Amino acid sequence: MNEAGETRKKADKDGYFLRAEGITKVYSDGTVALKKVTLEIHPHEILGLLGENGAGKTTLTKILSGLLPPTQGRVISPHGPVKFSSPREALDFGIGMVHQHFALVGTFTAAENVALSHRRPFTRLHLATTRKRLEEMMEESGLRVPLDVPVEKLAVGEQQRVEVLKVLSRDVNLLILDEPTSVLTPLEVDELFVLLRRLREAGKSIILITHKLKEVGSVTDRIVVLRHGEMAGDVRTAEATSERLARLMVGETVELIGKKAVELAEGEPARDEGAVRQTAQRAGASVLHVEGLAVKADTREIAVKDLSFDVYGGEIFGIAGVEGNGQSELVEALTGLRKPTQGVATINGTDVLGKDPREIYRLGVAHVPEDRWKLGLVLPFTLAENAILGVQRWKEFRGPLSFLRWRKINQHVRELMDRFGIQATGPGAPAKSLSGGNQQKLIVGRELAKDPAIVIASQPTRGLDIGAAQYIRNLLLEMRDNGRAILLVSADLDEVLALCDRMAIMYEGRFMVVVRPGELGREKIGLLMGGVAAKEAA
Amino acid sequence: MKYFWGIFFISLHAMVPLVLTAVGEIIGETAGLFNIGLEGILLTCAFMGVVGAKMGGPAAGLLIGMGIGGLIGLIFSIINTYWKGNQMITGIGVNLFALGFVAFGLIMLGSPGFQAVPASGRLAPIQTPVGSLSPIIFVALVVPFLAHWFLKRTRAGLILKAAGETPEAADVAGINVNLVRLLATTFGGVLAGLGGAYISVSWIGSVTKEISAGRGFIALATVVFSGLNPLLGLLGGFIFGFFESLATWIRNLPGSKAIPWQFIAMIPYVVTLLVVAGVVGRVRFPKALGEPYKRE
Amino acid sequence: MSADARAAGSRWRSLGRRTLTGLNPALESLLAGAVGLLVGALLMKMWGYSPVKAYAALFQGAYGDLYGFASSLARGTPLILTALTFSICVRAGMFNIGAEGQLIVGALAAVTVGYFTLPAALHVIVALIFAMVAGAAWSIVPALLKTARGVSEVISTIMFNWVSHFLAFYLVANILTDPIRGEKTISVPLSARFPLLVRGTDLSYGLFAAVAFAVVMYFILWHTVTGYEVRAAGLNPTAARYGGINSRRTMLLSFILGGMGAGLAGACIVMGEPPTYAVFSGLGNIAGVGFDGMAVAMVGRNHPIGIIIAAVFFGGLTAGGRIMQLTAGVPLEMVRVVEGIIVLAMAVPELVRLFRFIRSQFRRVLGGRSAQ
Repeated sequence: MNEAGETRKKADKDGYFLRAEGITKVYSDGTVALKKVTLEIHPHEILGLLGENGAGKTTLTKILSGLLPPTQGRVISPHGPVKFSSPREALDFGIGMVHQHFALVGTFTAAENVALSHRRPFTRLHLATTRKRLEEMMEESGLRVPLDVPVEKLAVGEQQRVEVLKVLSRDVNLLILDEPTSVLTPLEVDELFVLLRRLREAGKSIILITHKLKEVGSVTDRIVVLRHGEMAGDVRTAEATSERLARLMVGETVELIGKKAVELAEGEPARDEGAVRQTAQRAGASVLHVEGLAVKADTREIAVKDLSFDVYGGEIFGIAGVEGNGQSELVEALTGLRKPTQGVATINGTDVLGKDPREIYRLGVAHVPEDRWKLGLVLPFTLAENAILGVQRWKEFRGPLSFLRWRKINQHVRELMDRFGIQATGPGAPAKSLSGGNQQKLIVGRELAKDPAIVIASQPTRGLDIGAAQYIRNLLLEMRDNGRAILLVSADLDEVLALCDRMAIMYEGRFMVVVRPGELGREKIGLLMGGVAAKEAA
Repeated sequence: MKYFWGIFFISLHAMVPLVLTAVGEIIGETAGLFNIGLEGILLTCAFMGVVGAKMGGPAAGLLIGMGIGGLIGLIFSIINTYWKGNQMITGIGVNLFALGFVAFGLIMLGSPGFQAVPASGRLAPIQTPVGSLSPIIFVALVVPFLAHWFLKRTRAGLILKAAGETPEAADVAGINVNLVRLLATTFGGVLAGLGGAYISVSWIGSVTKEISAGRGFIALATVVFSGLNPLLGLLGGFIFGFFESLATWIRNLPGSKAIPWQFIAMIPYVVTLLVVAGVVGRVRFPKALGEPYKRE
Repeated sequence: MSADARAAGSRWRSLGRRTLTGLNPALESLLAGAVGLLVGALLMKMWGYSPVKAYAALFQGAYGDLYGFASSLARGTPLILTALTFSICVRAGMFNIGAEGQLIVGALAAVTVGYFTLPAALHVIVALIFAMVAGAAWSIVPALLKTARGVSEVISTIMFNWVSHFLAFYLVANILTDPIRGEKTISVPLSARFPLLVRGTDLSYGLFAAVAFAVVMYFILWHTVTGYEVRAAGLNPTAARYGGINSRRTMLLSFILGGMGAGLAGACIVMGEPPTYAVFSGLGNIAGVGFDGMAVAMVGRNHPIGIIIAAVFFGGLTAGGRIMQLTAGVPLEMVRVVEGIIVLAMAVPELVRLFRFIRSQFRRVLGGRSAQ
């Protein structure tokens, strides 16, 4: 299955810088992020770390850079085992990480941010010395950054360069970059790669976390693929093909269903994925019509670029793709949380962009948000109180003098609990006492009760156990069968494939392709998710 | 013209507790903790200053005031860093406690409601040809500059700002955010304690249950005005001190009987309100102010 | 330790753990109360008093006989209302420290009904309305400053407290003065007073007004759409906005209701307190009630029912404090010290968890075998 053995034999000859053995990481809420991952890191090497969302890439590097402790396993260097209890210790050892969400203090200048991580407590701030050193480093590395502007005012690409300089200034031997190119222009990406190659020549090790197949092919020497927390493959770049990598990343369909069947047998009664999918033809009218939509992200970059599509009644339209390619911004624009910069979107003909969330509700849009705790629920509230959020002014819940008809509300909630199998002690249970799955069922139930024309579900099964996730998916199918339009955004490719009638693959703000799930093989899908365009994939 | 020196000197005296407390709170808020218990610290330390002065003279009074202020600051910061408490409620608790404690303490000292500092316990003022000045005024003039230099030019100041603005980045850089906040707020307590002890030991010379007269909150308003710049804190403190002195001065003006004294007494508070309303929105506070820091 | 004993021990522990979690909020208040009383006892000991004697006198005075209990309720009446002021606004996500000032203007407004005559029941109602309107008016300005300009409501309400403080001085001495006794305002006329509930005490029907207000607030917050929206916006403004709730509106509304409560508190004091039924120039009878109300609110977990119970407790502390001073010689200011400590104890979230943590640390240090 992988060539790890052969690669390791070679590495032993050359020597290694660091080695992670049997790393397992289980979070306090039970999520298994990593399962017995073993990895070797060599000097003079750029290692690509590839995988989908939730594969465990960030967790692994956080463990290597001292931000998180492993639950099991160890990290060893040629001098013996190493253990970091803080990022500073890792830095002292020579491991530096450039995070995806920069660890920079916005109001500081680049020089001040770099000075922050240096080890000279409480004495005078030798900003002049730091500046000089930075300027030297900028010469060496070719990274140019304005040194005296508050970092928050810099363009994202420049901010990232500050992060890199900050880490480089500590003389690291292992440089870890987490999805560095997601915020860079193509020119900046080239410049970054030039720098990385130069560092490699100097003997440093580099780990590049990415989901972009083209990039990983162009700059790395070796590629490690993680899938669902496990090591899926360790190949030399020269010998890897995009197809192979894609397959390693997303796995074989057969294998996946087999694994799921096993997990299901241990918990809920199994629901055969095949039986769940009903591929009847639907021919509803267009409910959601989007044209030329462009949306800016918080970082002022354009997250959604010129998007046009329709979602019809009685279909599930899925948007697949690795997170961070504009999906969140798209959903926010359609649900009233973000103003788009241009474009048109209508629900059954009525304009929906730029309106208040409540108006959008009235137009028939229901939203299952990707962040349940921030947007979907008021956690200290009871089930019943959460169930009426958004519809508290409905005639059936509101009596004379604005009094709430708790009896009716509780009855409504009990019906929801019945229909959707929400496990809780009663309508008066606090929402935070519910499991993630039951919370999500509550939200879905609530949204459905609005009898919407379209349901926008964003990562609806994230963080749920298999049983709950399957339940939600069946709900979505049921809704579709009842003629509703459903827009499903999910980073879980299997989910999209299993549920959707039509799907789009989103990459860097655009749809790479819009197809029926059966039309493309997994491999091609993996390629498209990694940014390799359709014609190149052929 | 003869009024000028009078007003000026009273303003200088009045500004001391405001400036000291405000600069202390500036340091604390820069690191991320919002302490509304300043009023309580001022009151408690005004009282403790009297206690100390009676026992060991003015120096003892001032030192004890600083010590108690630091202690209260320490308790406040422990509750709100390591114990992840609620900063507002803690501050309210400190204020309530101070009200009771000082009233209680005054009774214990034998004279409920009022206690004067004996002449031996008063800090000797500096005499100038146009009036007398408390030496602490000079402390209050210098401290803002020191604080400004500290925040701007030392690495410790940088660390403080990082802890208050983006504690996650500070954590990644290896900084113990809770410890930094604790030290900053304790130090803020020390300064406020000095301000409180000053009131009784050096300025007014006595202590009552209400001696702090809302100065703790005016100091908070000064902090808002300063935008966390200690030099502006000095200016703000002087402005508010000026309006306080104005109240006293107006009473001596001919024709002042026409304005009821109660309205004159309101001036400092109304001015504070106007200043805060006008200035707010233009100043920027640390993003993590008021939030306890939890890693990951 | 035998296996049986260990099993029994763990059964007890899990039972204890389950009860603790279930009772959490009330338990925290009780624990905080206990901590406050304990520290108070320590201070008393330090000063040479007998805590046992003092507390015995305190509780005897507060709840031991009808007179004491009536006094406790009388002291607690305005506390219910000022606590509600703080709590309603906390539920909306704001800190209204202005009960003190809103109460003063409410009391003064109630007193003004002495300038005209009305039949008894109507007179009372008009006085109450005046008080509530005054209180609401005094609290709405800080609320507007917050919603329109983002001014911290903590600072603005405190400034308003001080302004009303001096305004009261002025009004008492100049405009509303009693022509016969210059150090007080005119008295609330007989027709506008709350009749006494218990003869010989100072407990009046004002208690019912306070409880009624608390009940009304309960219904508004938990049984109307508006109250629901206020609470939702206070807990999660983002999700609330999503649910179509305008948090600016809810903030303003909460301040209005809170101001009404504080104004009503002022009215209850002047309309219910024999023998003078007026505001004094030193504001002696009304000062401090606003701040004490905050402590009551916190201990009562910001819920009307809890507040009523807490108000009786704190009212008892004040009433019993007087007896404590007489009998055991401990100054009644100690009561406020205890209050302050209680609030500090309440500031630590999950006090119970902290308590358990300390206990588990003890175990780890003392017994290696049971350590897990």
